[in-house]
Amino acid sequence: MIRIRYTLLLSILSLLPVMAQDNSANTLSLEQARELGRQESRFLKTDTSNAIDTKKTPKANLTEYKKTLYPLLQKSCLACHGPDRTEGRLRVDQLDPNLLTGKHVNQWKEVYNALGNSEMPPADETEFELADTDRGLLVDWVGAELEKAYRVRKNSQDYSSFRRMTRYEYNYALQDLLGFPFDMVERLPPESASEDGFKNRSEMLQMSAMQFETSREIGLKALRRTTVHGEQPQPVVYRFALEGEMNRLTSAANAKLFNKNQDNYKQARNNNHFLNEKTGQAIHYNGGNLKPDANAMVGIAPDDSPVVLSLGAGKELKFNLDRFLPDDGIMRVRLRAARSNMNPQHFANLRLIFSAHTSNNANFSQEISQRDLPVTASAEDPEYIDFFIPLGDIQRNPFRKLETTFPRRDEFLHIRNISNGNRGSEPLAVLIDHIEISAPFYAQWPPKSHRNIFFDSPNRANEDVYAAEVLKVFMGRAWRRTVADQEVSQFVALFREFRSDFQTFEEAMQEVLATVIASPDFLYLTQTNNDDGGQRPRRISEMELATRLSFFLWSSIPDVELLATAYQGDLRKPEVLKSQIARMLSDPRANRFAEQFVAQWLGLEGLDSVTHIQDAALKDAMYEEPIAFFREVLSGNESVMNFLHSDYVVINERLAGHYRLANVYGPHFRRVPVEQGANRGGVLTHAGMLAMNSDGTDSHPLKRGIWMLERILQDPPPPPPPNVPEVDLTDPRILQMTLKERIEDHRNKPACKSCHAKIDPWGIAFENYDALGSFRTQLKSGPVDASAELFNKQQLDGITGLKQYLLLERQDQFSRAIAEKMTTYAIGRSLSFSDNADIDKIVVQFRKQGDRLGELIYVIAQSEIFNSK
Amino acid sequence: MSNKTSSPSRRQFLQGTGIALSLPWLETFAAADKTPEDTPRRFLSVYHPDGVGLPLRNDPAWKDWSWFPRGGEHNFELTKVLDVLQPLRSEITIYSGLSHPAVRQVHGHSNADQYLTGAATGGHGAYQNSISLDQVYANHIGDKTRHASLVMSTNGGIGGPRGAQTQSFNAEGRAIPAMNRPKQIFDMLFITSGKKAAARLARSKSSLDLLVEHTRSLGRKLSSKDQQTLQQYLDAVRDTEVKLAKAQRWIDTPVPTVDTSNLKLDADPKEASMYFQTMYELIYLAFLSDSTRAATFQLGRENGEGPHDLLSKAVGLGGAHGLTHAVKRPEGWKNLGTYNRYQAMEFGRFVQKLKDTAEPNGEGNMLDNTFAMHGSASSSFHLSRNYPIISAGGKNMGFDNGRYLKFGSGNDDNQAGAGIDTDAGWRGKIEVEELPLAKLFVTVLQRLGVETDSFAGYSGTLERV
Repeated sequence: MIRIRYTLLLSILSLLPVMAQDNSANTLSLEQARELGRQESRFLKTDTSNAIDTKKTPKANLTEYKKTLYPLLQKSCLACHGPDRTEGRLRVDQLDPNLLTGKHVNQWKEVYNALGNSEMPPADETEFELADTDRGLLVDWVGAELEKAYRVRKNSQDYSSFRRMTRYEYNYALQDLLGFPFDMVERLPPESASEDGFKNRSEMLQMSAMQFETSREIGLKALRRTTVHGEQPQPVVYRFALEGEMNRLTSAANAKLFNKNQDNYKQARNNNHFLNEKTGQAIHYNGGNLKPDANAMVGIAPDDSPVVLSLGAGKELKFNLDRFLPDDGIMRVRLRAARSNMNPQHFANLRLIFSAHTSNNANFSQEISQRDLPVTASAEDPEYIDFFIPLGDIQRNPFRKLETTFPRRDEFLHIRNISNGNRGSEPLAVLIDHIEISAPFYAQWPPKSHRNIFFDSPNRANEDVYAAEVLKVFMGRAWRRTVADQEVSQFVALFREFRSDFQTFEEAMQEVLATVIASPDFLYLTQTNNDDGGQRPRRISEMELATRLSFFLWSSIPDVELLATAYQGDLRKPEVLKSQIARMLSDPRANRFAEQFVAQWLGLEGLDSVTHIQDAALKDAMYEEPIAFFREVLSGNESVMNFLHSDYVVINERLAGHYRLANVYGPHFRRVPVEQGANRGGVLTHAGMLAMNSDGTDSHPLKRGIWMLERILQDPPPPPPPNVPEVDLTDPRILQMTLKERIEDHRNKPACKSCHAKIDPWGIAFENYDALGSFRTQLKSGPVDASAELFNKQQLDGITGLKQYLLLERQDQFSRAIAEKMTTYAIGRSLSFSDNADIDKIVVQFRKQGDRLGELIYVIAQSEIFNSK
Repeated sequence: MSNKTSSPSRRQFLQGTGIALSLPWLETFAAADKTPEDTPRRFLSVYHPDGVGLPLRNDPAWKDWSWFPRGGEHNFELTKVLDVLQPLRSEITIYSGLSHPAVRQVHGHSNADQYLTGAATGGHGAYQNSISLDQVYANHIGDKTRHASLVMSTNGGIGGPRGAQTQSFNAEGRAIPAMNRPKQIFDMLFITSGKKAAARLARSKSSLDLLVEHTRSLGRKLSSKDQQTLQQYLDAVRDTEVKLAKAQRWIDTPVPTVDTSNLKLDADPKEASMYFQTMYELIYLAFLSDSTRAATFQLGRENGEGPHDLLSKAVGLGGAHGLTHAVKRPEGWKNLGTYNRYQAMEFGRFVQKLKDTAEPNGEGNMLDNTFAMHGSASSSFHLSRNYPIISAGGKNMGFDNGRYLKFGSGNDDNQAGAGIDTDAGWRGKIEVEELPLAKLFVTVLQRLGVETDSFAGYSGTLERV
């Protein structure tokens, strides 16, 4: 195997100069480059089945090192990495050649990468040139020693994945456990991310008294919201009588009527109006006062009426609900709506805003709908659109209970139509024929979330027995394991103690259940020392595997099916595991995986700290694009090389405008094919990546370079040395330079050179993209120069050159990077040196499956590392 | 508003024990575990809406009714608005040229919210506030006292976004409801209620005990490394238990008994003067008994009718807010000045009382260990610049009083925005330089003993203070 690797490397190395010479690289399409690059993968040529002989205890090969290899290092490296100069804080003369027991194994890994990528020795240092055969010898020796070191160190584990849930996981876990789809963790402090951006690292997730207390309070509050006691509260119901209101308006003395069948309708129709579809009569209307109807029932179908309310594109209706909404509970806003036409280029989404006037010169307003809801039905067949709003969580008018009338006590609900429908000859409006607002809304009583916990039982009358039944089921779900009777009885005892403090059984149980979910069995992802005969002492149990899998793919606790599968002992069967993963990925909860993994992997929070993206819709779309792209790759089980380059983009209308791509309508993301000339495709050219790695007015090659190295290539640059000189912007010589010249100037300073030469070129290749990620060929000062030269003298000609190089020569590096990042996300801990062998194995397996993203997930789930503590 | 007092026996108790209880309180408070190093440092902020009078120099009213003093740092001269503070001259500092930058061009009506927070609370749309100065201090010192902070206002509650009726906001920027009924405040401070609280604490304790026991048995199934991680959880539970124990201790400790002879607990804002003095008296008693070390008191709300109008009516004037609109009417500046003078007088009365009371647990008088500030987020009509701020006390913390401190530049005579009575003022361009008020807050926090170098995103202290 060692030989194979050596020859491979040489063949890659020898291929490149040839291509560079006849310039054939430039005529390669990116697809060809991808094909060619794949053929050269060393992972694909590794046979994992017999590569590692686990029986023999390996020994370090020090003889060969002394005889052959150290002299080579002395000749080519010592001048810069020795006692006289110590570039990159590396001294080859002090490196311990025993990788198995020595302390320099991480440095050796760096040496291995620098030599393997031909980054070292620097190509312009001819005096220290390393002949290809010598380089091969070094790479082979270090590679073989690393391999041995992985094996030897495997049992000395450095990190554990025993950890508490993150804030977002706790939120989802509560939602899934209690069946209550609203955010509840606002009061918990945000998680800090590890250096490479991940928030679920066991090392980072501390527990403090504040964290614990807040979680406990949130848990109790959540239980109080999802379980009930007593009679169903009488809801406040507003039912908007459209026809009556229209009649009232049209019968006014000075009513300004118009008619759908007359020419002047064209000027009027984009504004909100009532329309009698039978007579064509219309009158403007933007909202009004609604009063609760004491006799109205919830959910009664609308009357047959020819009157609809036409809500124009970008317009809103504003209703004064006065001060009758209850303090707490869910408000359901139900509309029946349709589109005025079915032109596919137009979309209409509904959004709810809530507001109040707290003073004659001040007001507040808040978007209360969690997301916009699309109107898709035709006028012939209108659809119900329901919004559910937790009234206790939104900003209310605090004066609503005053006895006096100043400040104003009323509250307003706005229904806004987010739409592009005002363009073209036939504008799109939303036709509403029914509005019903009710709160607190219960689809049934007691609600499902209540009955999930307080289920029917013949023992209901015996409180102690019933409490034990309820607890056993609840504890099993919350703790994701079988629960001993003795554990249940401890909590029943707590219930007995609490019972007399409360009027009802349910109220006392709420506090007991809150204790169940304040326990580490809920809050932590545990991995106990189970008895499996000592065969595989590091293996987690199947129930724990179910939890790990669900936190990987759902950021939350497993559901009953997954737990049951694990309980039956089937989850590790390959076909069962495969079908469970497939089931989980097709569940809406898998969106959390795309959202969280992509945001953390690519560092999307960076978008929050830039201020130059003025258009909120653009910023949102920038954030969403990589997530939507990931989803697309995943749903088609496509190759992860699509992240480097794809022949399509996944965009919405706003981004299409930004990318100058035509015929994309609406705010939803969809796949759109692009030509290579569009300079898009893959995540590298996502506007969000480029915008967050800019300085607010222009591109920022350094940031972009660091981002490439950290996020895509998993080769993070070392932190800047202390006392690094600042770029002197008062120096007239520097002021006259272009950005690229300034960077080059900075790079040529001895203190900066070694790091920047490795970082900057990656970023300069992106120079065709401005601070918002728009493509450009011209700057004020002249044409854009996006040509860069990597440390290994590789020329990168702009984004296409960069992609071509990555696809030709860095496929292995990228696939290892994404495998490593996804694995570390999946197990929630940092990787230690000894994990490298497992990761390599994962990379080999999923590369052999065509680099498919879905395979990567499966390969990780059945890997040794995922199944171990 | 009528305060329904509880049973006759309670009233009898108060009236009957006023004098009798006035003697032994000193012993009660000088608890055994106090040492001179424990001398409490206290913070009070009094806020008044509607700003102050700021006539133009050429206006005849300028001489008497312009709020800011004339002259220099030491030789300043108080106008009729603040002359009631003349006897306390060596105990106070008056500031000009300070404001919170984020809202300098937001209508003054919206800005009480951010007076103690410095947040960009804006005028319309989405709203987010941040922690207030008193709460930063309360978070630092609050576990030393029965109540971490005392939050009061004449109108009570939280008010609304951009219409706050409290100065205090927690770490998440949420408003902390203010108390406004003297009786309710007194009961909270000095009457043990605690039956419900005790039951709640008992449940929490049982719940935590069970969690600890359960967690220990879980720990036995973990690797030793994971046990260390779990230890963090146990520590967190234990810290929570310590807090509960402390809460329990307060429940078990008798509330301090105080001299109630100056309290008129059924005082209502309608009887403005009495109400006002009672509220100040409650702050005084809370400080004296070391029941809390951080207090806020807001007089009314911006642009609101309400109880605080009665304060202006108490001095024979109309609605408080109306005074600011009517400055160009005959006697307008005088009326507004008279109202502000009345506020200063009540503040002065409170300051004098602190000065006249020996520190129960330390050197000097209570005022020397108290930093009390009095101010508004507008100076001139609806104008959120050049906040009129007076502070008193704090000598033992390093405050050097008896000075008029002008900050910023270009507005030495406080004429920027003077004389306006239209919204052109707050919409107008900012032409003079002012310093962030947050810098004074940093100074205050540091002298209160909070280790911090920034507030609301502004770092550094205010020089010369």
